[in-house]
Amino acid sequence: MAKYFGIDRIFTFLKTIKETGGLKASLYKLYRMDSLRPGQLVGTDKYGNKYYENPHYFYGRNRWVEYAPYYGMDYDGSQVPAEWFGWLHYKTDLLPDKDPSRPKYKWMLDHTENLSGTPGQYMPYSTTLPKIEAWRPPAK
Amino acid sequence: MLRITFTKVLNGAKLSPKHIYVATRAQSGEVKKPEKVEVFIDDKPVYVEPGTTVLQAAAMIGVEIPRFCYHERLAVAGNCRMCLVEVEKSPKPVAACAMPVMKGWRIKTDSEMTRKAREGIMEFLLVNHPLDCPICDQGGECDLQDQSMAFGSDRSRFTDIEFSGKRAVEDKDIGPLIKTIMTRCIHCTRCIRFASEVAGVDDLGTTGRGNDMQVGTYVEKLFMSELSGNIIDLCPVGALTSKPYSFTARPWEIRKVDSIDVLDAVGSNIIVSTRTGEVMRIVPRVNEEINEEWLADKSRFAYDGLKRQRLVTPMIRDCNGELKPVDWEAALLTVAKVIKNAGSQVGAIAGGLADAEVLVAVKDLLNKLGSEALCTEHTFPLDGSGTDLRSSYLLNNKIAGVEEADLVLLIGTNPRLEAPLLNSRLRKGWIHNELQVALIGPKVDLRYDYEHLGDDAKVLKEIVSGRHQFSSKLKSAKKPLIIVGSELLERADGAAVLSAVQTLAANTPSQDKDWKVLNILHKVASQVAAFDIGYTPGVDKIREGNLKALLLIGADEGAIDKSDLPQDCFVIYQGHHGDQGASIADAILPGAAYTEKQATYVNTEGRAQETLVAVTAPGRAREDWKIIRALSEIIGAKLPYDNLNEIRCRLEEVAPHLTRYGSAEEANYFKQAEQLAKKIKIQLDECTPIDVKIKELQDYFMTDAITRASPTMAKCVQAVLKQKQSKY
Amino acid sequence: MHERQPPKDGYIYVNDQLPAMDMNSLTDRAAQTIFLTELIRGFGVTLGHIFKEPATINYPFEKGPLSPRFRGEHALRRYPSGEERCIACKLCEAICPAQAITIEAEERADGSRRTTRYDIDMTKCIYCGFCQEACPVDAIVEGPNFEFSTETHEELLYNKEKLLNNGDKWESEIAANIHADHLYR
Repeated sequence: MAKYFGIDRIFTFLKTIKETGGLKASLYKLYRMDSLRPGQLVGTDKYGNKYYENPHYFYGRNRWVEYAPYYGMDYDGSQVPAEWFGWLHYKTDLLPDKDPSRPKYKWMLDHTENLSGTPGQYMPYSTTLPKIEAWRPPAK
Repeated sequence: MLRITFTKVLNGAKLSPKHIYVATRAQSGEVKKPEKVEVFIDDKPVYVEPGTTVLQAAAMIGVEIPRFCYHERLAVAGNCRMCLVEVEKSPKPVAACAMPVMKGWRIKTDSEMTRKAREGIMEFLLVNHPLDCPICDQGGECDLQDQSMAFGSDRSRFTDIEFSGKRAVEDKDIGPLIKTIMTRCIHCTRCIRFASEVAGVDDLGTTGRGNDMQVGTYVEKLFMSELSGNIIDLCPVGALTSKPYSFTARPWEIRKVDSIDVLDAVGSNIIVSTRTGEVMRIVPRVNEEINEEWLADKSRFAYDGLKRQRLVTPMIRDCNGELKPVDWEAALLTVAKVIKNAGSQVGAIAGGLADAEVLVAVKDLLNKLGSEALCTEHTFPLDGSGTDLRSSYLLNNKIAGVEEADLVLLIGTNPRLEAPLLNSRLRKGWIHNELQVALIGPKVDLRYDYEHLGDDAKVLKEIVSGRHQFSSKLKSAKKPLIIVGSELLERADGAAVLSAVQTLAANTPSQDKDWKVLNILHKVASQVAAFDIGYTPGVDKIREGNLKALLLIGADEGAIDKSDLPQDCFVIYQGHHGDQGASIADAILPGAAYTEKQATYVNTEGRAQETLVAVTAPGRAREDWKIIRALSEIIGAKLPYDNLNEIRCRLEEVAPHLTRYGSAEEANYFKQAEQLAKKIKIQLDECTPIDVKIKELQDYFMTDAITRASPTMAKCVQAVLKQKQSKY
Repeated sequence: MHERQPPKDGYIYVNDQLPAMDMNSLTDRAAQTIFLTELIRGFGVTLGHIFKEPATINYPFEKGPLSPRFRGEHALRRYPSGEERCIACKLCEAICPAQAITIEAEERADGSRRTTRYDIDMTKCIYCGFCQEACPVDAIVEGPNFEFSTETHEELLYNKEKLLNNGDKWESEIAANIHADHLYR
């Protein structure tokens, strides 16, 4: 009956606010993410990003990431590390720790976001020696 | 070339070519040429000399039969079997490279049987060939790659994916120039045949049989030859590749520029391969009249010297006596001021790598200023006809002509190291043409037998006067040659030597009217052009001249020192490498090396050839004659040419043959030269033994500014010295 | 509003036709204009969509589906041992239709064939994927990443180290992609 009139949505809404951590946190989340949705936390990566899933939503919106709190409003799409990239992009349903095709080698690097426009940005440089060695006059 | 193969084939390829010729020579005089036989290649009739092989007959009508071991300049081996073709009525396919055609044969080069044979051979070759084309330097220019695409099967029957039985062969270390990856070897034995037939170094050979066959040097040993680089070109697969070039470029990404080698006086034709403004490698270009298709190691591998010790910016010696980089404007103004103040007291010395354009520009400039002090670094006798008659300073009988000679007298020269490609011709004559060689000078290793007549000038005198036992041989020879090293003529009594040789040559008859007995072998590329333009050989003029300014055009051999010059003489060095000349200079004008300019060089036979621009000169370096042209304008004696065409016109004015590229201008006036030579007063110095500077292989590699800057050449010297200490 | 006229002369008149001018139609139009019905209907649609789920995705938090074959930012991979895969065969350079790849190579101290320069001009690249198809050792791959936009042009001139770093960063995902696709090649 409640469902027929959409009353259950109000309960879900209130529950979401509660799960989010109160009214203030919910408002902040709404401000930061433009949405406040119920979802099940499926994992957290080493950078603190939280991954949620709610199959109630249609394919394409049913997985999302909540960037780690310390990013504040400076969140960016490139902050998702490679391990979670496939899951978030619906390539695989296996979570990174369950996926056997994901190797772990010691030379693998930590993820970095797109650093363009920051002091850490990549600048091209030559990786070869100069082609011509000039003569240096012998010191007198 | 055909002649040799032909005679060999007639007599069966197993005999050594030298013996064959003896056997056939006697007959060839009387027996007139047999009639041509008709054979049919793919039903097309072709008339060929009897004894022509199937492969050659097919080539005549443009049908190319695939081959690996066959090479037209080497003996026929017939061991790769790739050239199998079907001959009608023959039960099995025949090897086209070794089988002489018979009358009326119908050869099918594209029949079912031929194709099946080729496919089978290809499969056998590939069974033991590694699939490492992506890291193989031959990739892209590999005969095996190309022919497996064209003639191989389109599928593999190779099932051994566990890699249990594929052949693997240990790589050999045969020196700093050639990298061996012997697993890739398909045993065509081209390298072995080259080493024993052309280079005359019998170091390479095979061990084992069948699947265990290996090509190698038996013991770990350097492949000690001045022509070793050619086996890289000969190798149809990637078993022998160039070490300095290894992994640096791919054949499809390099730009090829035809050019001329200037590191010796032969003027070998080369192809300079460049990529991203860098010379990646140098390979020979076929020129039957000069280098055939070979190239000496120095010419092939010294290109890394073009990237080191380069002069990239003008420099001026500052008040502290140190050379400091300046811009062109400052450099030209300073130099122009000095030259202007010097007036006619200005001189120039041309080094061994100077091109004809800069030589003529410098000459015009100095003549305009009223100076005649234009010298070449390497001297030459001036008495008698001196450098006025070309016949007395050219290799008159041409390089290719050496092959036809039946007696060669070498005087004061080591052709193996001074002109390796001339020596390979001599060796070719010695093998195929019963050429006899005699040598006056130090006993050096020429890789063929010769009669050593001693190393003092007395012998020469005796031969000239006819008292020596060799004189009669010389008289009776049909096509005798006398080759004199230019180094011998640099001696104080050089004029007497030249005179003696000219007399000897005039008194030596030859059957052929156009045969030139007298030949001078130069060591540096610029010398003939400098004489043609009118430079004075030797630097005596500079020493006496009390000069205020001296222009060194790439003069790096230390012919002149600071102590030879007046205190206030300002030395200007124009060249491309920082070497002896640059270190004594007060001003440096950076020029272009031979790969960086379009320039004219005249080789020792008087053949004008031009280099082309393969890469741009590094930094602020410019083409040499353009620097002189710019300088002349600032000095106020503007030279009347603004572009290459105009300076070439000027060259033509001076000596028309300088712009007739590719053809060798005949020299004349042998008689007059000889008569003039008789008048000279200098006596032959019989006490000093005749000597050559470059005696052994280790002396060969570093002889000029470019090769001295080359790390590869330094490695070669080290390797040769190390090999000399080894017990093998 | 108006019925399309049947073709008369073999063609159909598709442009706006003059509105009908009979009394009935005129009053109809006047009434609709006076009572703003079109506006109200428009707002109705908007109001309805407020309560519906949006059809767009909330990008940096939600991301769209991607294929394992997606061709994104380039990366140079390594062998499990940490040795770089690229052997400088230059096949990628040769096949690159945009000529975006520049390779220089030489012999490394241990005698193996390696690149000293591996530059990709990402602004020339057309992301055709020929380079990864040409590569005999799976060294150059177009990774999954597409979030590498930059503020300046030069940041997109990738050199060898940048590409290797990309590989090291994305190996987990690249390996998963190759695994996902391995049955089909």
